Amino acid sequence: MYLNETHLQVREMARDFADGVVRPIAEALDRDERFPGEIFEQMAELGLFGVGVPEEMGGPGFDSLTYALVMEELSRGYASIADQCGLVELISTLLVRHGTDEQRALLPSILGMRTKVAYCITEPEAGTDVSGIRTTAVRDGSGWILNGGKVWIHNAPVADLAFVLARTDKDKGHRGMSIFIVDLHAKGVERGPKEHKMGQRASQVGALNFSDVHVPADMLLGEEGRGFHMMMSVLDKGRVGIAALAVGIGQAGLEAAVDYAATRKQFSKPIADFQGVQWLLADMAKDIEAARLLVHSAAMKIDAGQDATKACSMAKCFAGDMAVARTADAVQVFGGSGYIRGFEVERLYRDAKICQIYEGTNQIQRMIIARELLAKGARV
Amino acid sequence: MKVLVPVKRVIDYNVKVRVRADGSGVDLANVKMSMNPFDEIAVEEAIRLKEKGTATEVVAVSIGVRQAQETLRTALAMGADRAILVLASEDVHQDIEPLAVAKILAGIVKEESPGLVLCGKQAIDNDMNATGQMLAALLGWAQATFASELKVEGEEATVTREVDGGLQAIKVKMPAVVTVDLRMNEPRYASLPNIMKAKKKPLEEKTPGDYGVDVTPRLRVVKTTEPASRKAGVMAKSVDELVDMLKGAGVV
Ligand SMILES: Cc1cc2nc3c(=O)[nH]c(=O)nc-3n(C[C@H](O)[C@H](O)[C@H](O)COP(=O)(O)OP(=O)(O)OC[C@H]3O[C@@H](n4cnc5c(N)ncnc54)[C@H](O)[C@@H]3O)c2cc1C
Repeated sequence: MYLNETHLQVREMARDFADGVVRPIAEALDRDERFPGEIFEQMAELGLFGVGVPEEMGGPGFDSLTYALVMEELSRGYASIADQCGLVELISTLLVRHGTDEQRALLPSILGMRTKVAYCITEPEAGTDVSGIRTTAVRDGSGWILNGGKVWIHNAPVADLAFVLARTDKDKGHRGMSIFIVDLHAKGVERGPKEHKMGQRASQVGALNFSDVHVPADMLLGEEGRGFHMMMSVLDKGRVGIAALAVGIGQAGLEAAVDYAATRKQFSKPIADFQGVQWLLADMAKDIEAARLLVHSAAMKIDAGQDATKACSMAKCFAGDMAVARTADAVQVFGGSGYIRGFEVERLYRDAKICQIYEGTNQIQRMIIARELLAKGARV
Repeated sequence: MKVLVPVKRVIDYNVKVRVRADGSGVDLANVKMSMNPFDEIAVEEAIRLKEKGTATEVVAVSIGVRQAQETLRTALAMGADRAILVLASEDVHQDIEPLAVAKILAGIVKEESPGLVLCGKQAIDNDMNATGQMLAALLGWAQATFASELKVEGEEATVTREVDGGLQAIKVKMPAVVTVDLRMNEPRYASLPNIMKAKKKPLEEKTPGDYGVDVTPRLRVVKTTEPASRKAGVMAKSVDELVDMLKGAGVV
């Protein structure tokens, strides 16, 4: 087994936490669309945010494989909880790789959930095609003036600090974008209302508008003009995280379906005795395991410092599709009950769908896989 | 004051236990194993004593197969300072009996001179409920069993015990052996930074021979059987029928 003693120990801890603290209130969080601040505080104390942040910067310093294990287990409890962990991991990876010492000093507060963050790329006219962003930052004395708007930003209704991709040179395409660390309590920042979503409803998502927001010069992250590349460079890890999250949703559905099939009786027998139901369960189990192995393999590539782009896209795409298809199977095993609010699988099916959309749609993942294949060849 | 906490690696309480085909015991091969839940409570209590400043060091010890070091790492990740593994068997199916465990622990107590030994009241695998008591007898120390509360005050400790129908408070002289019950505390989750730190904490390896103890079993298991399966219930078609059934059963 490639998981070492520490991996297993972390996985067990995350699993116990998800079972003990997260899963029991997932249904209520979904119903109320509530931001579970108290759970996030507890997670912060347990070091579940910023899993990969090195010890000298205030994190626990684990590898990407550990991060994937944590994401799967948290998501098995409730995907919105894992999604917050994924968001913090993305932001902290940006800071660890590209931040100045002063910017990295934000890490303890971010990992401690005292500062809530947002990662802002998407705009009304720029979704998949990031080069279409219209948010601009213009030099003003020693600082910058930010104007524009972002949509569907996770944490927007509650965040304190946003990492915003903005255009700093309109003539330079992908090389004309930069990332700014923006204080969301500053003058000129406006928040849109919280969106009501199909699934992962405890995740707070909304719009952010910036009108003449002053950003100090030292809040430019990394080099001017490198913003797009920096955002994309952390997406490998981001995709592994979302893929693991998808596996967790699938796993929760499988566990629920196996338990239900063993207890629900029709024709005087448990429905698990019918081959038609058994095949559903078997297909769920094998696809979840295949997705999990893709996730782990992609994570290990990142940890080994290998080119992981194709592996991460394959994991994200496969796991996202798997989660949607196999939670649909879980609903099927439950019959009519699976369609009713209050049954876990009904929520899981809704929670799964976004896995094919955010962190790059699955069409885009396929484009990346194909591009890598055609550029680097099909040999493994 | 140093606190010694013995921890046992047992079949996880969530696992559905299977009896081995030959009836010689429970199948432990490829089964999830965890720290005995009562021992986890003892570790938690020891760490709390340290956080309060009553204890200066928490030493976890496990006696058994090599894999028990995973159990010790868990104790270290929760907050124990160091660990001792007494390698007493290669075979996961060999249970080290309470007397042998108590004798080894007595040997460790002589070397380590703790002021308190905190054990689980029993291990959930064999439910012997004997090791703590035997250890106290071997050492000639005071013992307090089934503790739900522990207050150490200098040379004395006040222990609240869970007894049939209520609680009993007793005072014991230190050093003492205290065995803990379920309601003493709720063990913490090991945090990720502490799991990382635990990897660097010392884990010393010993053998029963180091303490002059022979772990050869003295008890022979005659037979192990599955508990009788519960009979299926009957479905009542109406409230009236249910009431009739309850009357028939003499319940109402
Ligand atoms: C719940 C939620 C949370 C989100 N959180 C964040 C966040 O925190 N930060 C953030 O920046 N964004 C966030 N997003 C936005 C998300 O990343 C985008 O929705 C996603 O990138 C897709 O963009 P779009 O919605 O504009 O779709 P479009 O880009 O308009 O795509 C529509 C469809 O066309 C397809 N398509 C587009 N181009 C091509 C092509 N070249 N070839 C084939 N098919 C194509 C897409 O795959 C898709 O199926 C979030 C979205 C949601 C719903």
